[in-house]
Amino acid sequence: MDTLIRNCEKLSKHQNSSSTKTLLSITQAIEALQTARNNISSGSTPNTDDLVQAKQQVEKAQRQSDEHIRELYTNVSKYGKHVEKAFKLDLSTVGESKAFEDKRDQLGYAILQHFLREGDFILAGEFARENKLDLPQDTKIKFEQMYEIVSKIRAEQHQLEDAIQWTVERREELDIQGNNGLEFTLHRLRFLQLVENGQATDALEYARLWFPRYSKDPGRMDEIKHLMGIFIYAKRLQSSPYAHLFTDQRWEQGARMFAAAFCASMGLAAMSPLGVTIDAGASALPVVCKVSGLMRDRKVEWSQQNELAVEVPLPDSMHFHSVFVCPVSKEQATPDNPPMAMPCGHVVCKASLEKLAHGVRPGTVAFGRFKCPYCPVMSSMADAKKVYF
Amino acid sequence: MDKINIDNMLAIEEPFIKVPLEQLRRAVRHTQKQVERETEAVSAEMAEILKSQYRLAPEELQSKLDGLIERLQTLRQDLERVTQEESQLIQRSKLRAADLHKLKGFESTTQPEFQHWCRQRLDRVLIDYMLRSGNLNTAQRLVESGSLEHFADTSLFAQVMSIESELKDAHSCQGALSWCAENRGALRKIQCSLEFELRLQEYVEMIRAKNTPAAILYAKKHLSPWSDTQMPRIQRAMTLLAFSPSTSCPPYKAMFDEARWTGLANEFRMVIFQLYNLPAQPLLHLLLQTGLSALKTFACLSEDPAEHNRNCPVCQTETLGKLAQDLPLSHHDNSNLVCRITGEKMDEDNPPMRLPNGYVYSLSSLTEMSATLDGKVKCPRSGKTFKLSEATKLFIS
Repeated sequence: MDTLIRNCEKLSKHQNSSSTKTLLSITQAIEALQTARNNISSGSTPNTDDLVQAKQQVEKAQRQSDEHIRELYTNVSKYGKHVEKAFKLDLSTVGESKAFEDKRDQLGYAILQHFLREGDFILAGEFARENKLDLPQDTKIKFEQMYEIVSKIRAEQHQLEDAIQWTVERREELDIQGNNGLEFTLHRLRFLQLVENGQATDALEYARLWFPRYSKDPGRMDEIKHLMGIFIYAKRLQSSPYAHLFTDQRWEQGARMFAAAFCASMGLAAMSPLGVTIDAGASALPVVCKVSGLMRDRKVEWSQQNELAVEVPLPDSMHFHSVFVCPVSKEQATPDNPPMAMPCGHVVCKASLEKLAHGVRPGTVAFGRFKCPYCPVMSSMADAKKVYF
Repeated sequence: MDKINIDNMLAIEEPFIKVPLEQLRRAVRHTQKQVERETEAVSAEMAEILKSQYRLAPEELQSKLDGLIERLQTLRQDLERVTQEESQLIQRSKLRAADLHKLKGFESTTQPEFQHWCRQRLDRVLIDYMLRSGNLNTAQRLVESGSLEHFADTSLFAQVMSIESELKDAHSCQGALSWCAENRGALRKIQCSLEFELRLQEYVEMIRAKNTPAAILYAKKHLSPWSDTQMPRIQRAMTLLAFSPSTSCPPYKAMFDEARWTGLANEFRMVIFQLYNLPAQPLLHLLLQTGLSALKTFACLSEDPAEHNRNCPVCQTETLGKLAQDLPLSHHDNSNLVCRITGEKMDEDNPPMRLPNGYVYSLSSLTEMSATLDGKVKCPRSGKTFKLSEATKLFIS
């Protein structure tokens, strides 16, 4: 990309000089014509020299502007070649998929939900209007509640009381959901805010009020001990070792964390599902594209298959369900072919287990007993127990 | 894996970078033709004037020169305007390249700056979708609230929609034909017959207006140049002269059908998208379809709501779930286990533990639970309680 940026700058210079020169030669032609015209006085013979001069200037303008513009076009083409080099994927190989046919409304509602979740209610209303969708009132009200609190966090004054109150009221619920980091984050933000505003005594009181409940948690206590040292640097925070705690992003991060917890408590997804899907798509589309090119030759369309042909690597945050792939057969476990644990703790799918069991000759002592593929421990169909991930 | 695959991220941004480039190319081409035409005309006139200068009265001479001066002045004005446009397009290209360049500076998907960049990308994709669907107010608001003027192709879509509405509503080929004339070279390269289709439609309209002589002249002038590739259709067009607009004979009835105008508008859209490197389907569709597929698992399809994960987009049954219905499932070469309680990965560092009733949870979540429950654990799915010591470790390959 930096090649492209540099080439844009070069192109900009070329375009500038080319257009200046072109305009100049045309101006010169105009001036010559004007001179010729003004020197014509009624009654006298026309001034041939002027006219010849004007004609020459016009021809010069014609030649020069042609040259300059051609040069500019060449430079644009050169830039174009650099762009070609940067992109080798052909998105058109991912052809027309019928998956969204007749589903325009569902897509509309998915987008509408996203707009409501992002807090832009006017945008949501506008979109609903332009697409004749009904604005889901109960969802809207929930998000309006959330935004009342979140916008206070984001606003200039960065007011945290409502958020802290909401969080404290739901302490137990958040603990169960594993969201107890939120309360501490909010307390820390408030504590730092008080220190930043020069209210050291208030900050200390705040710490005394809220931090002791973390006394049983060694990790948090370490952080609190570290935080308490900030009073030494109260007057020169920006040059202290604590400067990194005072970034602008901390409010946005706090707001997002609160929004995620709020959504979780409402039974909604923590992050916008539309956003997550698009981010997943950004990883998936290039992968599918590469494979699609190959599938096209065999007249097979990617979206008509039962399963994608390749694995799309996704970050851990996008793994929402357990997926078990049998180490023996490399097949995904399904409800009909569930994962089974042998006594040694190794897990294979039922079909593989059956193959292992039947591999042994009937009538022998060892019938139905087999060795685990991964360790010396013996097992049988009866010993294997179902596993529910 | 939280690393960012920059090549993949960049791969889908081809239209983002290519559109202003194409717009620039066309602007320069247009300038080239205009300057050539005007300077040639003025040059030729000057030659004429020089030849006949002694025969012309002074006033005549003056007025001719005035005419030429005006012409060049208009050209200069146009050039000044186009120069501005060209310079803005180059600036836009630079800004877009700079935005993509930011990707190199991110280290992991969990970085807040990267997440902010992704949200902006989502906005860009939504703006493109809104412009394509004609939801102009929504598009405008998205552009304004995100300050994304340079990242949205508003002017291009405005041009597309104006020509489309001329075709669909006003039933006029004028704008489309002049667009074809401007882009003839590029259209020939992709072997596009849009211009022929437009000429054909104008010919049909002449027949419909019962203006047979004009229609024949028109066909001679505008349809016959296409005879080496479109002969069968030209022949059918000539035969159309023998039918009236209310005919029920199938191929000829189809030619008179008013719905052809919508077909022309659609074809125009496809062609202009192709020229500007825009995908035929909105990028939103492509990303959603592949994204939903990559996320879709058997659990999402389950009728049992306990199998659904609140955070999983495919499990949003009413909206995205429905969209994902006919899409393929994700493919996995390796197991990926997620604890039902914490949502965290279960691997060698945090192994999966099987309770006597078969349900599996991560060691860390069971350990934490047992600390509060006096050495016992309660299975969230079945409600049964067990001792922590009763859980057995599992090994996944």
